[in-house]
Amino acid sequence: MTGLYTRWALILGVTLLLAILTYQHYQQHLSTMSMGTLLSSPPVTQPVRIQGMVKSGTLQGDVEHGQATFEFVDGEASLAVEYQGPPLENIRELKTLVLIGRWDSQAQIFRAQDTALINNFGFVAAAYLISVMALGWMVFAMSQRVMVLFKEIKESKLYEPEADSLGHKE
Amino acid sequence: MINRIIRQIQRYKGWFGGGAALCIFVGLYIGLLASPPDYYQGELVRIMYVHVPLAHTSTLAYSVLFFGSIWYLWKRDPLVDNMCQASASICALFTSLALITGSIWAKPTWNTWWTWDPRLVSFTVLLLILGGYIMLRRLVDDRVQGGRYAAILAIVGGIDLPIIKFSVEWWRTLHQPMSFSTRGVSISEDILVPLTLMSIGCWLLFAYMVMVRTQILYLTDLLHAKKGRFLSQTHFSQTTP
Repeated sequence: MTGLYTRWALILGVTLLLAILTYQHYQQHLSTMSMGTLLSSPPVTQPVRIQGMVKSGTLQGDVEHGQATFEFVDGEASLAVEYQGPPLENIRELKTLVLIGRWDSQAQIFRAQDTALINNFGFVAAAYLISVMALGWMVFAMSQRVMVLFKEIKESKLYEPEADSLGHKE
Repeated sequence: MINRIIRQIQRYKGWFGGGAALCIFVGLYIGLLASPPDYYQGELVRIMYVHVPLAHTSTLAYSVLFFGSIWYLWKRDPLVDNMCQASASICALFTSLALITGSIWAKPTWNTWWTWDPRLVSFTVLLLILGGYIMLRRLVDDRVQGGRYAAILAIVGGIDLPIIKFSVEWWRTLHQPMSFSTRGVSISEDILVPLTLMSIGCWLLFAYMVMVRTQILYLTDLLHAKKGRFLSQTHFSQTTP
């Protein structure tokens, strides 16, 4: 039984390591910051991702050549955005999108360099968790059952050779 | 002959388990961290690396059940019967997981958890057939008779396999056409590597699980038989003057 649990501890350890790496990757490259947090927290130097909606009647500039200014709103909070980057294919007023850029606290402008798709990482996490946990649990339960059966057979001494009618063992 | 092959393969069970763990861990790492997001679907494409291998493995598992059932009806080999029983329960697990992960993927991409799509319906029919198979095995007391009826059901249910495979060609469907065909491979390398690794990992895992489950069924039978003999001997020695 010890060998079984050691093996499974190793598998669990590798799985946890992968989960931690994935979570870190998500925090660094995928998670978005709310506008309220961006405005209230001290200025951050690294690029951040914010999610919001282009306010109606504020979109100006040459969108097809990747230059635009607009108001970006998220509930109560709103901020001015100056976009300079790849051409924006689907941008329009009232469009929800994720902007990648830096907050210029002196000019009070969010300088965006790129856009990203709105990530639904919850769905990805749910699909992986359900599959890995169900399969892992099934394999573990089966391996444990084999061990229990072997132990049961061994302990009940059912493997002992049986004596025939003359008393000779098989 | 098949009996000998199964016994030979059983000796390398650990290799299958180890290979499955390695492929799945490397596949998970590439699928979750190293591969790029899709242009249209973004991060959601990562669900494919778990959904598609699960679906492939469930059809593979049913194929094992199908051919095993034919062999059992022909040769009446109890080891093959055990293997079929093991394949059915594991196939049910893989089919359920494929349907659940597909549903999770469908919600953000198709905006619905379920739709009457030919492939979804044919896959659900597969799960119902497997449910029937498992119930039949439990309900019929006579093991040999139960095995025979279940084998017939599995063979008849085999008609669902080509329907699942070609549903995307025969009917209008939300699923994409076949990616591997005589026309070539229509998947980018970035996606193909984690998908292939996860698929191989799931196939090896299925093989490992079938071996362990077959072993459980064999050991349970052995225990029951030995206990039965032990009890009958005890009973005999107690009742005989």
